[in-house]
Amino acid sequence: MPVAQGLWLEGKPMHRQKRRLCRSLPALAAGVGILSAFPVGAEGQHEFLLLPSADYLYVSDLSPPDIVESDVHAGVDVVYSFTGEHLRLLGEYLLSTDESELERLQLGWSPTDNSMLWVGRFHSPASFWISEFHHGKYLQTSITRPSLEQWEDENGATPSHITGLHLEFDRELQDEAVLGFAIAAGLGPRFVADELVAYDMLDPESGHGLSLALRASYRPHLFSPAQFGFVSSWNEINVEPANNPDLATLDRIDQLTAGVFVDMHWEKLRLISSLVYHHNNLRYVDGGVSDDYVLAYVQPEYFISDDFILFGRVDIGDGEDHSVYLNLLPTFISHRNMVGVRWDFAASQSLTFEFADTSQQGENFNHEHYKEFRLQWSAAIR
Amino acid sequence: MTHRVTIPLLLASLCLWLDAQANNHSVVLVTNERCLVSELSSLDIRKAYLGVTVSVGDQVIRPLRVVGDPELDRIFFQTIVAMSEKSYERRALSLALKFGTPRPAEHESVEEALAALQRTSCGIVFLWAEDVHASNNTKTIRVLWQGN
Repeated sequence: MPVAQGLWLEGKPMHRQKRRLCRSLPALAAGVGILSAFPVGAEGQHEFLLLPSADYLYVSDLSPPDIVESDVHAGVDVVYSFTGEHLRLLGEYLLSTDESELERLQLGWSPTDNSMLWVGRFHSPASFWISEFHHGKYLQTSITRPSLEQWEDENGATPSHITGLHLEFDRELQDEAVLGFAIAAGLGPRFVADELVAYDMLDPESGHGLSLALRASYRPHLFSPAQFGFVSSWNEINVEPANNPDLATLDRIDQLTAGVFVDMHWEKLRLISSLVYHHNNLRYVDGGVSDDYVLAYVQPEYFISDDFILFGRVDIGDGEDHSVYLNLLPTFISHRNMVGVRWDFAASQSLTFEFADTSQQGENFNHEHYKEFRLQWSAAIR
Repeated sequence: MTHRVTIPLLLASLCLWLDAQANNHSVVLVTNERCLVSELSSLDIRKAYLGVTVSVGDQVIRPLRVVGDPELDRIFFQTIVAMSEKSYERRALSLALKFGTPRPAEHESVEEALAALQRTSCGIVFLWAEDVHASNNTKTIRVLWQGN
């Protein structure tokens, strides 16, 4: 059982994490050098953000066997942008105790006030949570992400990074409501051994398939974060078996997703929810296997005061327990019932506690159950 | 009797006059003389300060702020962007993370802000009216707030 062999991050044993720190640090240094040399004209503006966090995780009640694990994790998300007259450069680099990765590097051209065409590596618009919070832990209320919205290297089942073209377009309506559209096309992740691996701009390899992604949203008011909408994607995920015998004859996975999301705000309440249908066609050399499932989550948040938020989340699904595709991802979080409380203090700092009853996919359709206690400090510094 | 009544009356009048002067502050939105913008709606000003691109003709409006004056900050949050400081900060963080949107350029002093204003083709900054009179090469677009 993998949990007995290593520490955990987002329900995933750390020994499976890619330790790319040494390889990426020189690239990070070079990137910082290039960015600082970017020309600053009279109209140019830099934006620099640091989003540090530190997490403590305690896991208990594993079944079977009854093993207790704990983990301490720290990281900082570095966001930089340069905005010129009609051009923008945006980069996001995550440096943590587990990984060092260039998450986003995109160059944008703004042909009109309400549109931006990006080229580079960006987060898939077909995921609400990912395109709303990115790697900024301080901005999301909960410590954990819904399993539907996990990153590729943290048990995710759908592409979260695409390298290619991304068009964002807003249309303001007469009543100050806004229709937003985002369309992306590019290289998606490959399936390597037991996880999805996104295209790495600092270590490009061939063999990545096509990813198409779409999000359409409606915001009732221009200045309010409330919104709801539709997301969809088509992904051709090429497979590299590595040493995984289950993948020996699997050539490619074609994945179609379609779903809805909502982020509504009332005076003391907020509700974030998404429901996404998945259809996978696993193309083996001797034939294909299809499966369908639905993944969903509901996260209500109650503002006890300006500084305290009580929240919870239910991660549920239909058909995922017996999915042939998800069975290839044994650390995928199939169910999680979670409650937590967050305290905002000082200038842009927060302490969050979460307790969760969690199940992960496991081997051979046998779910593994455990309890998680998490404590996180997060902040935003500019 | 005359002096006993007149002096307190004069002092009271002086106090009332000083109070009226103090309360007669106004906050104005200014740009540099080269900028072709002559008027901006309250909505466009709010948009510009909340990270929404606003253009007039082919000129993009660049918002600037003088920070550190508590009264000016209060007017900014209450009147110009109409949201709490916490909501404003959260929105600015969110836009920077999602789209790389820069927040309004922040300056510690009026002099610094006015110098920055001259370096932009079409920047806007809100200031106390009396700070604007003393400066050159600016034009007032509108009065944003008036105390009385």
